[in-house]
Amino acid sequence: MKYRILGCLLLLGIGSPPMTARRVVGAQHAALLHMTVTSLRDTSSPSALSPRDSALHALNRLAYGPRPGEVDRVAAEGVMHWIDRQLTPGKIDDGALARRERDFRILDYDRGDLAGMYAEVQRERRERKLAANGAADTVVTPRDQTARRLAGQFQELAVVRAALSERQLYEVMVDFWTNHFNVYFGKGADRFLTPDYIERTIRPNAMGHFEDLLIATAESPAMLFYLDNWESVAPGAVPPAAMRVRARPLFGRRPNPFRFPPRDPEQQDSMRQRALQRAPQGINENYARELLELHTVGVDGGYTQQDVIAVARILTGWSIKRPQQGGDFEFHDWAHDGGEKQVLGAQFPEGHGRDEGIRLLKMLASLPATMHHVSWKLCQRFVSDDPPDGCVDDAVAAWKRSNGDIREVLRAIVSGPDFWAPRNIRAKVKTPLEFVVSAVRAVAADPDTTPRLAQVVARLGEPLFQHVAPDGYPEMEAAWVNSGALLDRMNAAVALAAGKLPGVTVSADSGLGAAASPDDIVAVVDREILDGTMSENTKRVITRQLADITDPGQARVLAIGLALGGPEFQRQ
Amino acid sequence: MAISRRVFVKAGGLALFSLGLDPLFLARAAYAATNRLAVYPSSRPILVCLFQRGAVDGLNMIVPHGDPSYYSERPRIAVPASDVVDLDGHFGLHPRLAALKPLWDAKSLAIVHAIGSPNSTRSHFDAQDYMESGTPGVKATPDGWLNRYCQHDREHQDTPFRAVAFGPQLPRILAGTAPALAIDDLQAFGLRAPQPAARDRLTRAFEELYAGSATGLLSSSSQEAFEAVQTLRRVDPTQYQPAEGSDYPRGKLGKAMLEIAQLIKADVGVQVAFADVTGWDTHVNQGAGEGQLAARLAELGQALAAFTHDLGERMRDVVVLTMSEFGRTIRENGNSGTDHGHATAMLVLGGPVRGGRILGRWPGLDPADRFEGRDLAVTTDFRDLFAELLARHMGAPPGGLDAIFPGFTPDPTRFPGAISV
Repeated sequence: MKYRILGCLLLLGIGSPPMTARRVVGAQHAALLHMTVTSLRDTSSPSALSPRDSALHALNRLAYGPRPGEVDRVAAEGVMHWIDRQLTPGKIDDGALARRERDFRILDYDRGDLAGMYAEVQRERRERKLAANGAADTVVTPRDQTARRLAGQFQELAVVRAALSERQLYEVMVDFWTNHFNVYFGKGADRFLTPDYIERTIRPNAMGHFEDLLIATAESPAMLFYLDNWESVAPGAVPPAAMRVRARPLFGRRPNPFRFPPRDPEQQDSMRQRALQRAPQGINENYARELLELHTVGVDGGYTQQDVIAVARILTGWSIKRPQQGGDFEFHDWAHDGGEKQVLGAQFPEGHGRDEGIRLLKMLASLPATMHHVSWKLCQRFVSDDPPDGCVDDAVAAWKRSNGDIREVLRAIVSGPDFWAPRNIRAKVKTPLEFVVSAVRAVAADPDTTPRLAQVVARLGEPLFQHVAPDGYPEMEAAWVNSGALLDRMNAAVALAAGKLPGVTVSADSGLGAAASPDDIVAVVDREILDGTMSENTKRVITRQLADITDPGQARVLAIGLALGGPEFQRQ
Repeated sequence: MAISRRVFVKAGGLALFSLGLDPLFLARAAYAATNRLAVYPSSRPILVCLFQRGAVDGLNMIVPHGDPSYYSERPRIAVPASDVVDLDGHFGLHPRLAALKPLWDAKSLAIVHAIGSPNSTRSHFDAQDYMESGTPGVKATPDGWLNRYCQHDREHQDTPFRAVAFGPQLPRILAGTAPALAIDDLQAFGLRAPQPAARDRLTRAFEELYAGSATGLLSSSSQEAFEAVQTLRRVDPTQYQPAEGSDYPRGKLGKAMLEIAQLIKADVGVQVAFADVTGWDTHVNQGAGEGQLAARLAELGQALAAFTHDLGERMRDVVVLTMSEFGRTIRENGNSGTDHGHATAMLVLGGPVRGGRILGRWPGLDPADRFEGRDLAVTTDFRDLFAELLARHMGAPPGGLDAIFPGFTPDPTRFPGAISV
């Protein structure tokens, strides 16, 4: 299919996606284009979306689902206008969220503070353990509690931002990049490096240029630690610290063979041995491999094991200044492999330092394979689990034109026909985060700073920042839809509707007015919670369930619970 | 919209099908449709995996008491030879694992010593990841090897209880496209409501909602879910009585093992079960015959003994495997503990096991024989044991093993020989 059939045209008028036709490359196709546009115009009605439907679709995919009344507001504003505003998040007032963020004390701590607290907690725990002769430790000190509360706040904050921010597309992109450049909150120093990573590496770059984001992650202590690059050194390189260990017993002098008694050479050796053993030995390919396979060109990007090694060599010395104290990025000249390298055919001459790493990252960011790989993932997120080629091609073209401006790539995806094609509407299953946040938004619930909502997301299978492998949480529905997880979603929905989900305040009745009869309640729930997507079967089942419930309040709670836990609400 | 959506989803699925792709939901739906309420033969092979997270000290679990270096390197934490439960004159069980000695004598317990990963990492995180993905050194493997086994053998997908992990989340080892169930609490599985009547009502309502309104994978998975709920109602976990004399230890491990035994006995189609056992990272005061490690081992031994007793005859189809991400240093550290090492020991227990033997080549504890001069060397790649269990116990065809352990070619001549052929 070299020339794609022209996609559906959206002839929607005001407040709807613009009339869009596929760009067909080459002048010789102008005639074809003209012909198809003409013929499609005549038969376009089956694929046309109403302003309300397109607003709902945009809110489902580019946001975490609509809040009560939001579909009408976006439809009235015009969905393309709303998308335009979402693409420039800096201009959207987000004062309400900013005020809420002040309750999250985690934002007052930088990674040095967190590292210090973590070290203290560990020290206290060690001391207690020694004192208790190794017995199981159940003591929770105030510092312990603070550390746990902050870790919980960090996870909860992600849910709260997704739920409350007016900059919805921006929050969706933060989640996307958090997974694309995944780090694991539970690995050693990443316990105190990850919050900083989200605040200072991911968030500031989420809607900027891909190249800046790539370099920022490469230099972030959290990523350097997570994928071990901080320990990657040129073979044979000896850190200054280990040199000092060898030197210290000799006080900088040559060994004195007449000294008596001679210093025990074994002891001297073993000290140095230990220092060297602790010190990293040789290159570590972990980051290099994932940089190619996951972050940039993709597994089919045409690189070899030799390329992985060369990338690792180029990035030797990219390290962290005192990682256990939450230190910053630091380039170690002594650890850098200054030899000549070749990556994907590009020469990196000898004698360079940190600069060749930057050159490498810029090169990777602009390779066609990278554009394709990352665009494909974006289309998978926004359009379909199995994204159509045309959508990816449009995104790549926009990437080329804009030098990797993420906003332009997004604009191309949402302006293309695939985004609006009926077969892609509600074709994706929500991730646990999307499900929980969209449910919270649908009932206008108000989350607090306790990590309870984040715990619900975790229960449903997506503990935030705790995906162990570097590929991040998947977008495919097969990863999320299984019997246990579905039952958990139903339970969470029922609890939320009943106001029994800890950590959120719900006034479930608020949007439903005084609807009392089963038919009225079902109609209002369909309109306010499911935005008119309720199937005939669902209407029938819920109506029947409400028949013998005399208390209208209870009936409304049950109807909302069934609607949120039912199949329609699992899709976006 | 509702009607056309379903048509589109269906049409999309069929289109994929005609291109030779096999959408998961169609496969699952087909099984669900043809195998509802099937009776599962009770002679199916079952594999139960326990992950000792934190790196168990293999040398104090299975003590090389015949090796003098063991005592010279561990003046404070070595298990005295007089306390060790001797197995073969050279190795013995930690005294708090004495409950396993009858299983050894009955030749249903084999021990693979000096087993581990070809990767040299001493990071818990990396090593656990590699042991669960089954691809040491490769981080990006999306799924776990137990799930890949389930993907490979699609014949048994017809039960929601086929692959079960006990814990709040599905572990990496069972992550992947094959259906697998995470059960935190068997008794709470299903819809939750204060009263049974309310629970039944919710269950019925959701079942009707999904039966009539769900499409694709949502439809087949929800069918599985409600079948599982129905099955569990029949099994009734609250009423379970273990076999007389099965003394499960209190705590998470005992509860998980009891629930696994219960599901196996209920013939709900369990084929792979998984549970975590934590608390092995003994850097400080790990103890010798008594102490911290001894307490963890006592719980493990008691749980395994109770499980074996509880299952009784059913153990003829069951193999229990313990695994841990790496072992610990040969020499004790300055805090009377041990640090992260390399090789460790794994237990293989059950009817099909060729037990009463220590398997694998013992590399010895001499400095020259150590890994990086300090740790017990790995002489058996953990994948050789895992592959053997899948091939000889679970019946995975030899050709399928390459796909379950990508980048590795399992070779039966390297299998440790834990399973009777």
